Amino acid sequence: MATITPAQGELQVRTFQRSPLSRARGHLGGLWGRPITQAIAKALLTIYVTSTITFGLIRLMPGSPVEIKIDELMQGSGMSYADAAAQASGLFDINLNAPIHEQYFEYLGNLAHGNLGSSFLSRGTSVMSIILSVLPWTLFAVGTGLLLSFVLGIALGLVAAYRRNSLLDHAVSTAGSIISSVPGYLIALLIILIFGIQLRWIPITQMRGAFTSGITPGFTPQFLGDILFHASLPITVFFLTHIGLWILSMRSATLAALEEDHVTVARARGLTDGRITTAYVGRNAVLPLVSQFAIAAGAVVGGAVIIEQIFVYQGVGLRLVASVNQRDYPLMQGIILMTTVCVIIANLAADLLYSKLDPRIGRAGGAGGK
Amino acid sequence: MPVLSVRDLSIEYRTRRGPVQAVRDVTFDLAQGETIAIIGESGSGKTTLAVGLIRLSPRSARVTKGEIRYDDGKRAFDVLSLDSERLRRFRWADCAMVFQAALSAFNPVITIWEQFLDTGRAHGMGDKHKVHDRTRELLDLVHLDPKRVLTAYPHELSGGMRQRVLIAMALLLDPRIVILDEPTTALDILTQRAIIDLLRELRGRLGFSTIFISHDLSIAAELADRMLTMYAGRVVERASVDDLFYRPRHPYSVGLMRAVPRVSGALGSVVSIPGSPPDLIRLPRGCSYYPRCPFHIEQCLAEDPPLLQVDTPNHEAACIRWEAVAAALGSDAEAPVAEKLA
Amino acid sequence: MTAATGLIDRRDVSRIPARLAGIVEFLRMMSRKPVGLIGLIGVLFFLFLAYVAPFFVPLQDTVDVTAIYAKPSFAHPLGTDFQGRDVVNQIVYGGGDIITTAILAALFSTVIAITFGSIAATVGGRIDALILAITDVALTIPQLILLIVIAAIFRPSSFFALAVILALLQWPALLRQIRAQVLSLKERDFVEAARSLDLGLMHIIFREMLPNMRSYIVIHFIIAMTLAIYAQAAIMFLGLVPLSGKNWAIMLYFAYNQGALFFKDSFLYLMGPIMAIALFQLSLVWLASGLEDVFNPRLRN
Repeated sequence: MATITPAQGELQVRTFQRSPLSRARGHLGGLWGRPITQAIAKALLTIYVTSTITFGLIRLMPGSPVEIKIDELMQGSGMSYADAAAQASGLFDINLNAPIHEQYFEYLGNLAHGNLGSSFLSRGTSVMSIILSVLPWTLFAVGTGLLLSFVLGIALGLVAAYRRNSLLDHAVSTAGSIISSVPGYLIALLIILIFGIQLRWIPITQMRGAFTSGITPGFTPQFLGDILFHASLPITVFFLTHIGLWILSMRSATLAALEEDHVTVARARGLTDGRITTAYVGRNAVLPLVSQFAIAAGAVVGGAVIIEQIFVYQGVGLRLVASVNQRDYPLMQGIILMTTVCVIIANLAADLLYSKLDPRIGRAGGAGGK
Repeated sequence: MPVLSVRDLSIEYRTRRGPVQAVRDVTFDLAQGETIAIIGESGSGKTTLAVGLIRLSPRSARVTKGEIRYDDGKRAFDVLSLDSERLRRFRWADCAMVFQAALSAFNPVITIWEQFLDTGRAHGMGDKHKVHDRTRELLDLVHLDPKRVLTAYPHELSGGMRQRVLIAMALLLDPRIVILDEPTTALDILTQRAIIDLLRELRGRLGFSTIFISHDLSIAAELADRMLTMYAGRVVERASVDDLFYRPRHPYSVGLMRAVPRVSGALGSVVSIPGSPPDLIRLPRGCSYYPRCPFHIEQCLAEDPPLLQVDTPNHEAACIRWEAVAAALGSDAEAPVAEKLA
Repeated sequence: MTAATGLIDRRDVSRIPARLAGIVEFLRMMSRKPVGLIGLIGVLFFLFLAYVAPFFVPLQDTVDVTAIYAKPSFAHPLGTDFQGRDVVNQIVYGGGDIITTAILAALFSTVIAITFGSIAATVGGRIDALILAITDVALTIPQLILLIVIAAIFRPSSFFALAVILALLQWPALLRQIRAQVLSLKERDFVEAARSLDLGLMHIIFREMLPNMRSYIVIHFIIAMTLAIYAQAAIMFLGLVPLSGKNWAIMLYFAYNQGALFFKDSFLYLMGPIMAIALFQLSLVWLASGLEDVFNPRLRN
């Protein structure tokens, strides 16, 4: 049969699909074209709104730090309003004489240049440099902990799904469920309490801080080993806090993937179990988890605050608490913004990863038949 | 020597209410190059049977008895006795199964080519080029453009194209038997026609045996040499296509024939079968078609009737009243089947 | 044919009044998966402990310097704290504030989410886009960090104020869900019918749609409570909130600051509140999980 009927030659025209995250983010503004443009626009908008909120918090609210500072100065040193305002102005790096909207635009302008102001306490140091000096430590600890928990969690979730309702499955699922329900800082306290104090297995006093002073920083094994030593407890806590999530998510994703028709067809095709597990079940199950990972990475930066406090780990969280106690408002403001930027970058990465990994997203299809 | 001999195959599912006897004492032969169509309504056990032939039933299913004897002239064995590795190699290489080509029949995240390669590799075809050549050959046979199809992902192809790809993939290893489960159900009528013609062409060229599962009698009529009617998990009639359409001997087969509207048929001659199939967990005593059968008598309830030889050769029906059925239908003509029992 | 669901024998139940039968059926469904039932018992236990027990157990506030970090005994089953006060007593009295604040915060966030979610879905257009945008932004800012800064600036002096602040950070997730649900329900027949009867927007939302979303709302409420407790304990532990009182989180704060962390004998003083918070959180999560199974018939297999 040489001729082809029209039905066979249907062109498959795919309507343009967006990744689930992008779709869920709504149809702001309507037609925009490529999702990456939309995502970046969303990101900028979020940064803008966040900075406005912090501006509002610091400047506009009743009882705002600026006003309080002025009051403080007036009452403490008996200054006049004008003098107090002038001093506050210098401290906050805001021109208090200019009308509000000008202050706002100046603030935004500074932001656009990456100028987050100067810290109250150390008057020459820019907020940006302070943050940049502590952020890497947090990212290192959080990143390592999350990565380890992801890898191990996925493996355990897969096994649990394959051995559904076995003892292993029940044990792993219950353990995962329990651990993920307990707040991270409680786990941290428990670790110190039980393993550090009661059992004396862990030398916690030696583990304070991000690294032992005295060892010169560099890419030497000695220094790297030292960093790992100091970061091990925070990493362990991040690991434990998240592993439950990965185990349970992967388990349910795998169970769903196992039900898929193409797995049955793959078995009918005589494919080996190994190949089916990796390329047919595994790849499909892990897909949504990858973007979940990216999102978790962004979110955990916030939760790291207390963990760092407990372990006295000099990351951005510890700095935030210190800045709060010291009323260092520019630093507080800067930390909010920078951590939000981290979350935004993580979310963008999640979107990107998902659209790269799932061929069903964003590809204009159309293999015409012959 | 038939390439497939199924004897007394019985499969049951475990459910909370008790075991469901989905397939009961199924016996039939499939000769070399022959096409058998298995017809019946939903729940008759056709798909369970088909999937059971390659032992791909879900975990809750169990084969309680029977044998599935495969003999291609070089090797002979009981499929039910194969260990998992030999079973894996049996699947697709000796007996391939073409499912309904829904989007989910393919792995959505890898290309069509990779899925062909996977299939080839799983059966020892290590040389990528060999697999590629063979794949291109087959895609040509099913009238698809390899260049476009191989680099595509499943969701980029239309339903008809996917069905052709599945058929091509099924033939990759030159199997002796191809099982087709409702291959045209999900497709529009023009595509259906194209697929049927394609199947006929391929069968002629490559000479494989086919087991065809369908609820669509007209397709069965086009493609099949012999037919099996299934009801409530049992085979109730075994006949050639001609015999089944013109000289059905089991009341259920007669009912099926009457239920299909004919282009030439008189208005009002289409009658469906009243009632519904029995509960497969608590099967009633005797013939399971009894409640819906216009020919039933007291004795039908005594025991489940075995397949009895009827008045034409190679034709069996599981009904003790087949002679009455034959009498009611009269002689050969097809059109009267619909009206005679009106 | 036996009863359709096979879950209860209808004959027994018809003898019990309808309300009670509903509760019985509910409990039976929960007991299919023990997790939910354990959670329910746990939550009830802690609620009892926090709200009812104080009526029976007198508050012991006296400082007894001779009994600092005493070992557990009959008089002090969990020992004493750094000021010689009984730990069990503090745990009994320590739950109320935290749980009340959590309930209030969950309540506020649920109300905000329902209100704006429904409005966004029913009104659509620009307002919908605006609400969605705000929700997105709220979801992106790291909550704990923002909470810490807000708490530091505004220094909420009452638990009520704290609840309000906490609520402001939790509504986004539920709002999305409510909005999605309303959007899908909007197209359903019974809404069409209500609209054609001209029953008004409020009526449609509250009488027709909301009952269908009960399961989401209840489960979200419970999860919101866990988040509120998490956040409260966090900021109180950091000492950022000028609240006095004797709740579990403040116990941790004092413990940490008094260095109790490093004494061998003060183990129970710390384990007490830690366990209380952890077990309550666990109970809430398990209760939510059990409810999820009960509400979603498909999951029951």
